[in-house]
Amino acid sequence: MKTLFVALAALVVSYGQTATPVMSDTAAARFLDQATWGPTPASIAQLQQMGIANWLQAQFAMNTSDLPNQPVIGPTGKPYTALADVQRAFFANALTQPDQLRQRVAFALSEIWVVSQLGGVQYAYAFPPYWRIFRDNAFGNYRDIIQAVTLNPAMGRYLNMANNNKADPSGRTSANENYARELLQLFTLGLTQLNADGTPVVDANNNPVPTYDEAVIPQMAKVFTGWTYPAAPKHKAGANNPPYYMGQMYAVEFNHDETQKSIFGGNVIPAGQTAEQDLQMTLDDLMNQPTMAPFVCEQLIQHLVTSNPSPAYIGRVSKVFLNDGNGVKGNLEAVITAILTDPEARAGDEPSAVTAGAATFGHLREPILFLAGILRGLNATLGNSSAIQMYAAQLGQDLFRAPSVFSYFSPQYRLPNGELAPEFQLQSTAAASFRADIVNRVLYGKLDASTKVDLSAFAAKAGDAGSLADSISYVFFHHAMPAAVTQQVEAAAEAQATALAKAQAALYVALTSSEYQVVQ
Amino acid sequence: MTSRRGFIRAGLTTVGTLALRPFGLLPAMAQNTSNYRALVCVFLFGGNDSNNTVVPMDDTSFQAYTTLRGGLALPASQLTAPVLSVSGAPYSFHGKLPDLANLFGSKELAVVANVGSLVQPLTRAQYQQAQAPIPDNLFSHSDQQLQWQTSVAQGHSPTGWAGRAADYIAAQKINTSDFPVFLSVSGNVLEGTGASTQPVAVTPGQSLMLQGFNNSKGSQARLSALTTLLTADTGVSLVQAANQVMANSMADAQALTNALGKAPTLKTQFPKTSLGAQLHQVAQIMSVQSALGMSRQIFFCSLGGFDTHVSELETHNTLYPQVNDALIAFYQATQELGMAEQVTTFTESDFSRTFQPTTGDGSDHAWGSNQLVLGGAVSGGQIYGQFPTFELSGPNDADTRGRWIPTTAVDQYGATLASWFGIPDSALPSVFPNLANFPGAKLGFVG
Repeated sequence: MKTLFVALAALVVSYGQTATPVMSDTAAARFLDQATWGPTPASIAQLQQMGIANWLQAQFAMNTSDLPNQPVIGPTGKPYTALADVQRAFFANALTQPDQLRQRVAFALSEIWVVSQLGGVQYAYAFPPYWRIFRDNAFGNYRDIIQAVTLNPAMGRYLNMANNNKADPSGRTSANENYARELLQLFTLGLTQLNADGTPVVDANNNPVPTYDEAVIPQMAKVFTGWTYPAAPKHKAGANNPPYYMGQMYAVEFNHDETQKSIFGGNVIPAGQTAEQDLQMTLDDLMNQPTMAPFVCEQLIQHLVTSNPSPAYIGRVSKVFLNDGNGVKGNLEAVITAILTDPEARAGDEPSAVTAGAATFGHLREPILFLAGILRGLNATLGNSSAIQMYAAQLGQDLFRAPSVFSYFSPQYRLPNGELAPEFQLQSTAAASFRADIVNRVLYGKLDASTKVDLSAFAAKAGDAGSLADSISYVFFHHAMPAAVTQQVEAAAEAQATALAKAQAALYVALTSSEYQVVQ
Repeated sequence: MTSRRGFIRAGLTTVGTLALRPFGLLPAMAQNTSNYRALVCVFLFGGNDSNNTVVPMDDTSFQAYTTLRGGLALPASQLTAPVLSVSGAPYSFHGKLPDLANLFGSKELAVVANVGSLVQPLTRAQYQQAQAPIPDNLFSHSDQQLQWQTSVAQGHSPTGWAGRAADYIAAQKINTSDFPVFLSVSGNVLEGTGASTQPVAVTPGQSLMLQGFNNSKGSQARLSALTTLLTADTGVSLVQAANQVMANSMADAQALTNALGKAPTLKTQFPKTSLGAQLHQVAQIMSVQSALGMSRQIFFCSLGGFDTHVSELETHNTLYPQVNDALIAFYQATQELGMAEQVTTFTESDFSRTFQPTTGDGSDHAWGSNQLVLGGAVSGGQIYGQFPTFELSGPNDADTRGRWIPTTAVDQYGATLASWFGIPDSALPSVFPNLANFPGAKLGFVG
């Protein structure tokens, strides 16, 4: 049936004037599993009609999602800290808003540039503006993200750049090292110098070469002195304002350390500069570090496509990060295009082809991708009282509440066999069984009071177990469900009495399977 | 042992028999409780500033502490009354750790001073002149956490020290059950990953059992399909890894649920905090060790939020009561169960923090830290190892801010615990591969 459809579609195209060959179901759905929160029949058909290039252009132009602003003070007169409305809106966007690629990239960036309500920013109103940095710059320039985050008051609070005054002249204190250290280690360079293909630079003794030595951190801490929170409305702007999370931080020069700083890469920030001058010079120096391209690109590839990209794949994307073809460095629109259209990303589009590296390809769906993917495929609607965010939290992804600046999971987390498998850091025995319980609740109507799923399309096929399995394969398995899964899906369906029970059982077996949990 | 776990490395052919093994068949032979021993790790994530956990109260030390710590120095009014150690020296604990101070006084709690990751013993001169090997990526949270958990200070270790201890226990068939030796109530953690054993993680208060099944034909067909698929080999390593976690979960769920059905209700009240819930769950599982067939177990709990670059005193005033209240409740629960001498609880943390404050009344990442060990078998009321000299740029400082170079290694700390736990000297090198680098390997605080 699948072959027939493809052949038919090709025939239709051949009557038109377009030269673009139609994408197979498999190619379209695979691409959408990498570039959206999960394929749906409508999105598969749309991509097949548009082709990847046109689809990407449309996505780059789209910016439709938002998170609702939150009150500073709640109805009881206390600081408003509840994040549930923001978290629910995030899921609602994932399920229904059309700017899917922008959302996926923004989320990946937010998992690199972490600000969390745990251990810092209590106020809920801080998070929508912080998240908009990634939404609005998802296809922009990486340097703009570095600068916007650096001056964002939520990050200022979280990693203590706000009110980081220069050291007390008595020598009894030092400038705070927190933002300086994590900006380098987590957001831009990592600990080890990388070649363009992501492999470590090694010295003559084959030891990795660090991106900076320990003496750099106290110097970098001095670079980031002198900034304070924006003044809250009706508050006088002072030198060390209390936390306020709308707008950008500003510099107070007498709190800035004007001495000379020796930073990473042998760069020197000269004495006598303003806080703003120090900042701009440091960010320019950062952009010139060759390690940044592979450091950032590998993580974006891992979030969107595969946990273990080949050095060649990383190298091709890094090259685009360094120069988008027009001499611009850090152009994320070009980087995302390179990631999603790379031959390694697309190699599995033709399932019959034996592709190199297939055994280590793909990545485990992180909890939010798992939940969103299932609900999109089941045409779900979230109600106002949806508890979807609590399920994500219990699986290890409490939105905007990562346990630390090290995010929900480490890009360096490995399986015992040494393969990179970042999302597996969350996949404990407890999480594995809870994922199956969530599937059970979704399918049998017990997820929460207001979330509704629509199984009718599957129940309509339930008269024939093969057709039912094929309909599940189309939405959830890139129309290429492995034979072993098909066999068990059919067996589970055939043991049920009603059409609905057959659809439920078949979907349960399919969606709890590791073949679904791991995006191939 | 016909292990139902760890099948990935052994090849997928074994999983069929494992997953299809009838559930509920547990070893009937119960262990003698007096032979039971458990280690309980409480990891303080973020790098606890242990300079303020325990403070030496002799005049010289306390004066240096007060001067150099500035805004971070606790006045005597915010410390417990000094407690004399066995050797007669006065120490105070943070004022929010009163029960732990009392346990130090009653010799049920020991302090291991200035312990941290090392490749070999190291002096300030050697460190500053790069004349001796040092741990990778010092002062980085992620690296130092893993070095504490693996007891390997250089390079990537795929296993943790507790996981390697679990490997030994499993290989020697010391437990009558193949339920995992290492159980985390705080998610996946490298500390418990062994070369031949895999940990289990439990969410406190929640069953691992799959929900939504009954004895109907349709329900059983669904379960059978799920179970059968765990044995399917599609040739993709991540799929196999996910299958392994799920198969482990299902096997462990049945064993744990059966055993916990017989758990006594503890009279001890645990605080309603995350750490309280974790330790409550650990105490419940310990109470059924006999039904589980376990005579050796290692547990892992954690509390985060210790990365106190600013506002440290306020943060400690929130976190330390949680530590104090959960640990004392847990210790009382082991007494209630008659197991106090069979359970040793110990702390770990990424690192301690700079003695010199930041401008925001906090402290930055440092190195050697003070850790606490408590239990009925602990030779408490003593300081093991040495406190650093409180002097910036002094003999113990790595640089100028009071980042203490450890004078005791994680390897020694872990080996002392593992030795009491039952790892013989002959097997210690397989658990702590660099132990021979440290003279006087074991510290004697327990066992």
